[in-house]
Amino acid sequence: MSVTRGLLYETLRIRMVEEKIIELYPSDQIQSPVHLSIGQEAVAVGVCAHLLPTDWVFINYRGHAFYLAKGGPLPEFFAELMGKVGGLSKGKAGSMHLADPEHGIMGASAVVASTISHAVGAALASKIRGDLARVFVANFGDGAMEQGVFYESLNFAALHEVPVLFLCEDNGLAVHTPHNERQAFQLDKLLESFSIPYLQLDEGYDPEKVQGIAEKAIGQVRQQQKPVFLRIRTARYREHVGPGEDFSAGYRSEEQMNFWKSNDPLSNGTASLDLFRDQIAAEIDEALSFAYGSPVPTIDDLLTDVI
Amino acid sequence: MINAMEQRENTLIIGQGVADFKGLFGTTLGLAERFPTRVIETPLSEDAIAGICIGAALNGMYPINTHIRADFGLLVFNQLVNLAAKYRYMFGGLFEVPLMMRMVIGRSWGQGAQHSQSLQSLLAHIPGLVVIMPASPKSILSSYEYAINNYQGPVVMLEHRLMYELEFESSHSVPQNPLFGSILENEGSDVTVVATSVMVVEAKRAAKHLKENGISVEIIDLHSISHPDHEMILKSVRKTGKLLVADTSWTPYGVAAEMNRIINESDPSMLKAPSVSLGMQHAPCPTAKALEDLYYPDVHDLVDAIARLHFGSENHLVPLPPKQSMTDFYKHFRGPF
Repeated sequence: MSVTRGLLYETLRIRMVEEKIIELYPSDQIQSPVHLSIGQEAVAVGVCAHLLPTDWVFINYRGHAFYLAKGGPLPEFFAELMGKVGGLSKGKAGSMHLADPEHGIMGASAVVASTISHAVGAALASKIRGDLARVFVANFGDGAMEQGVFYESLNFAALHEVPVLFLCEDNGLAVHTPHNERQAFQLDKLLESFSIPYLQLDEGYDPEKVQGIAEKAIGQVRQQQKPVFLRIRTARYREHVGPGEDFSAGYRSEEQMNFWKSNDPLSNGTASLDLFRDQIAAEIDEALSFAYGSPVPTIDDLLTDVI
Repeated sequence: MINAMEQRENTLIIGQGVADFKGLFGTTLGLAERFPTRVIETPLSEDAIAGICIGAALNGMYPINTHIRADFGLLVFNQLVNLAAKYRYMFGGLFEVPLMMRMVIGRSWGQGAQHSQSLQSLLAHIPGLVVIMPASPKSILSSYEYAINNYQGPVVMLEHRLMYELEFESSHSVPQNPLFGSILENEGSDVTVVATSVMVVEAKRAAKHLKENGISVEIIDLHSISHPDHEMILKSVRKTGKLLVADTSWTPYGVAAEMNRIINESDPSMLKAPSVSLGMQHAPCPTAKALEDLYYPDVHDLVDAIARLHFGSENHLVPLPPKQSMTDFYKHFRGPF
């Protein structure tokens, strides 16, 4: 991420990319299910502000924000979503499987919680080899904390003292199901039993506050080369998958979302963003023209990279 | 594995029991003392360990993950099938996940339904996986060496425990790339037997008996279950016109079915008689020895089936070896583990 452009710029950039996807989606040029990061941008931006190019993130199907915040290129992003050869994964990945190892974006899985253990394994490899001061981020949602592999990964990371940041983006929903219908445990007590330090931020809409707590959490992992857990509360503005709003479905209220939006500097009018908008819009237009111009894959691509 | 640990500093051995006093049927004994940071005893967390292996592989390691029973390997299917097998393709070649899963088929007496399964068909069905069932020390050594030094994807080695203590010789050469291809184990002209794992050893015993009775059996050790040598199979069946498949697992939707697919999609007229499949009975494995002996095919069944196939009749007059369970024959095995 470009530090010089500032947190707000980066957050707005991701928001505008997501809004462009919403605008384009009815045209069917993006034939890939999209799990939009809209509302959650500040988490990725604030965390990535403290990651080095040699640090790695392991993400999930709602990965647009982390891909862009960690430095994944925008033209290839749109090409990937459109199933074009110009995507970094040549169109075989789409929205749910973004990756860019050059920028330390080590793959996104659509199976909830399944990349948490990858971050632990990569951190273990670094520890065995004696790499200095690298950080491996396992990024997951609150639903992932109900998977068995989450506990297995915490246990192994604590037992072997590996440099992992467990980063929970807590938007309060697993698809359409709220916390209270899913979780019977207390996270702080769980982590205490593993002796994993636990940090939490409720204001996940504020990129400044996110970067503040991320600095502390990442710094601790980097310095001590041991696991730390950071939970950031956030909000998913759109439906679980797709470009629309779904407040009429009844599983959550629009008032609740309006509370978040009233605090969100991208939505509440407190920040002067107009200076940024033209520049970002021009970047998006340029990226889109790359994607439109990129060829579609052919039968020659169908069976490459299987084995 | 010792060679790999010595020669390649990125090799990891990780699994339940790899550092304990039994050392996975003796196969990892002494390694933990020599390489303490790279032989990793694990919690009982197969799912996470498989993911940890993928993460370590993405970060430059070559993990060898062991499962003392292939049945426990079912707990890693998410990581193996949804992630490891797909990482190269799904990301358009951005990632390679070089790693090995060793899964031990636990068959011997009394192992019951959850300690004895042969899962090669489930695994070989998945694009992106290489599945090997070694049937000789030579094929084990060459497959290991090639996988660790030359191959950049996930390899599953299904190792049959009945063979760990066997001493046997195999004079036939393994394929140049031992992750792809099969091994012509015995040349013959009357019947083709395509066999897997310990059934190759059984087929050789049967062939010896049948040779004394004038029947010439060609044996193909399938070896690479995911990538067998189609041409070798077709050439052999073209020659003999008769096919028997002897697999360590169930026959429906399995190796036997796949061999018949390969032949039928090429030229079904090469078969001069209906093909025959031998495998486990299509039920979970029973624990009671009396039932277990009926559950697995043995040399008696193999000789009988090959003779019937050769003569086209059950009244073939070939004397049959006594009915004897395989675990009685391989006397090395002692309970209880």
